[in-house]
Amino acid sequence: MNKDKIKKMLGRSQRLWILVVIMLALTLLQPGVFLTVSNIRSILLSISIYGIMVCGTIFPILLGGIDLSVGAVAAAAGAFAVTRIVADDYSTTGVIIGVAGGLALGCIVGLVHGLIVTQFGVPAFLITLATQNIVYGIAQILTGNNVIPCMKPESFAFLGGGRLLGIPFSIWIMAFMAVISYLILTRTVLGRDVYAVGGNPEACRLSGVRSRLVTIIAYVASGFTAALAGIVLASMNRQAIAKAAQGYDNFVLTALVVGGASLMGGEGSVAAAIWGAFLVGVVQNGLRLMGIASDYHGIFKCIVVVAAVALDAHVRYKKSGLKKGGFFKKKAKVS
Amino acid sequence: MSALLEMKGIVKRFNDTAVLRKVDFSVEAGEVHALMGENGAGKSTLIKILTGIYPKDGGEIFWNGQKVEINNRNDAFRLGISVIYQELSLIPTLTVMQNVMLGREETRAGIINAKTMRKRVKDLISKYGFGIKPDATVETLTIAQRQTVEILKALSEESKMIIMDEPTASLSTKESDALFKIVEQLRDDGVSVIYISHRLEEVYRLSDRLTVLRDGVREAVLTKEQIIPADVVRLMIGKELSESTASQNLRKSDAPVRLKVENLTRKGIFKNISFEVHEGEIIGVAGLVGAGRTEVMRCIYGADPYDSGKIEFEGEALPRRIVANIKKGFGFVPEDRRNQGFTPLLSIEKNVALTNYDTLASGGIVKAKKERKLGNEMVERLNIKPNNSQIPVGNLSGGNQQKAVLAKWLSRDLKILIIDEPTAGIDIGAKDEIYRILEELAANGTSVIMVSSDLQELLRVSQRIIVMRKGEIFTEFSDGRVTQEDILMAESGILTKEGQEHE
Repeated sequence: MNKDKIKKMLGRSQRLWILVVIMLALTLLQPGVFLTVSNIRSILLSISIYGIMVCGTIFPILLGGIDLSVGAVAAAAGAFAVTRIVADDYSTTGVIIGVAGGLALGCIVGLVHGLIVTQFGVPAFLITLATQNIVYGIAQILTGNNVIPCMKPESFAFLGGGRLLGIPFSIWIMAFMAVISYLILTRTVLGRDVYAVGGNPEACRLSGVRSRLVTIIAYVASGFTAALAGIVLASMNRQAIAKAAQGYDNFVLTALVVGGASLMGGEGSVAAAIWGAFLVGVVQNGLRLMGIASDYHGIFKCIVVVAAVALDAHVRYKKSGLKKGGFFKKKAKVS
Repeated sequence: MSALLEMKGIVKRFNDTAVLRKVDFSVEAGEVHALMGENGAGKSTLIKILTGIYPKDGGEIFWNGQKVEINNRNDAFRLGISVIYQELSLIPTLTVMQNVMLGREETRAGIINAKTMRKRVKDLISKYGFGIKPDATVETLTIAQRQTVEILKALSEESKMIIMDEPTASLSTKESDALFKIVEQLRDDGVSVIYISHRLEEVYRLSDRLTVLRDGVREAVLTKEQIIPADVVRLMIGKELSESTASQNLRKSDAPVRLKVENLTRKGIFKNISFEVHEGEIIGVAGLVGAGRTEVMRCIYGADPYDSGKIEFEGEALPRRIVANIKKGFGFVPEDRRNQGFTPLLSIEKNVALTNYDTLASGGIVKAKKERKLGNEMVERLNIKPNNSQIPVGNLSGGNQQKAVLAKWLSRDLKILIIDEPTAGIDIGAKDEIYRILEELAANGTSVIMVSSDLQELLRVSQRIIVMRKGEIFTEFSDGRVTQEDILMAESGILTKEGQEHE
């Protein structure tokens, strides 16, 4: 048999294969539990939230930046929407103002990130870590640190709990956002500029690209999708709570990195990032089904992230043609 | 006196191109030995072999008469060879003493013994009269002072040989003089100095002996008495050059003035730069590294700010913004191709498109077909290899990368193209193509400003040549016959301004 050919075939759809193998393993390990309609639906529901986030957070990642505030922004946006709806006595106007206000909040946080990164040169890691805490504080203040239930009205509950053609509405939102994000990144000047600035900011500046503007828009996009995800999450849970999206920053980063986005910028795609979200969702679901206590989930997921990033860095290093191969030195000898 | 260092028959190839062809090079203890040659003559390669950065493909190295193998920097270091790099390798936030003693800190029971270290560094400083304080933080020092810290470091390591590569490139005259004194002191102390510089005047002043390299071959070794400036220049350039590449008839342009620069000044970098560029004219800007050529070009283009002076473009004041200047018909090909010229991960097509979205998109949506068509057109027109606009520019060879950068601008209607070191690191075939492209551009009315350190290139392409020296325009060759020698003499400072009066 032609080994190279098989390698090539496997390599091209490598990502899909990893997912298939994991799902197959889970099906065998948990017969009659993993591969059921209700379980798959539950996986889809959980990934729809960070799937939505990924669609916007990929922008700063492509620029070589980062957004660590998405979980906090989601919580604050959800809290804003729910408290607004409750205060407006569950009216439709309340829903409109609540949702619009929540989204605006996300955009404002993103705008602040973009301005501080471009005007003051503060590293994105630092500023978004700071706003993570600030915005989380806002979420706590909005909710008074309580669980605020919100079972009505139907229009709001539909966002996260409704179905369209038998598929949860949140999945539709995710799909919609993914398409929008895909179109922006591949079909518009903005998208081209994002990849270009992420790949070489100085060359872009000398080519007349308005890289500051591009950067600001990228952070706004990330804030917007985080807020949208938070509102959908609040609707899904029918409540607002400051801790609603705790740890989601990690999910989103994991999904992006596992999906092959480079933290150095310039590389990554929405489709692969959504795939990453699937993988994270499936792994998490599997851990739960196997009865592993949730305390261990974080540990496991972070190991996955580190492994993915290390592999990414290693492959990049090898591609760069430098001779030292680090940990994988012996294996790299042949190439 | 026997030689401290002897390199015999050194051979080095890069991809079948011989860069060093059996070069002999020897340095005696306590001499200042200058290493001269044009760009690409093989000076840096020879030094890199000596310091263990490159492996050699042939030849032997002797140190104090014994054969040695230098496989890495540490081997060179152990023999007592230090290099003072152009880009300094100090840690700015640490003090002079900490930098000098870095990696060799004196300790007592694991605790740093600052007192004895300070004394050692202080003794060295006063011995050589360096005039810096051991406790000063390096980032507060001037470039010249930092250089002395590097020298101090080499001395504290008891180096027997110090290599200086273009040490005065970013120093003022006064600072250079101070450095020369240090070099002389080192020599008197028995330390050998290998001195690499394009500034001929300082080479003549300092060196006891001089080795000239040309095209990877040792052309001559001269003793102090044998060093005659004009001869050395001739040795560097080579006699057998045909007349056409050794000199050129310049021609003044009668076309209207397109760009007028008046008294442009950026404090501490360049001052009183004035020149004009006519329509359809190629003007060459010569000068040594550090003369301020790139900096002037960046200011004109709007990439950097300037302090005073005027720039007029077609009779109007030129904005100081890149985006506005591109709209006016500017193009800019930077010197540092890899870091400033292109986005390596993106395809040729998308790199080209980057400067063209004003015509390739409407309402922010990219017209993908038009984009592809333009990409293919440019690949065809500039003969970019491989012949596929979908390949990431980072995967192309140097020459094709440069063509891709050019394609970004040639796809637009250019009124003026600023191009900095157009053929650095590019093979001869691609060089010719790039010259042809520049000549075509000029024939179609685009003005070209070409900064170059390659004398043949300047003579071949330019219609007029400006020579910059130490942040100022030293002279301009605008008509009559000019030779490589003329330019080299002007840029390296053999001639004084008075000597140039016959122009």
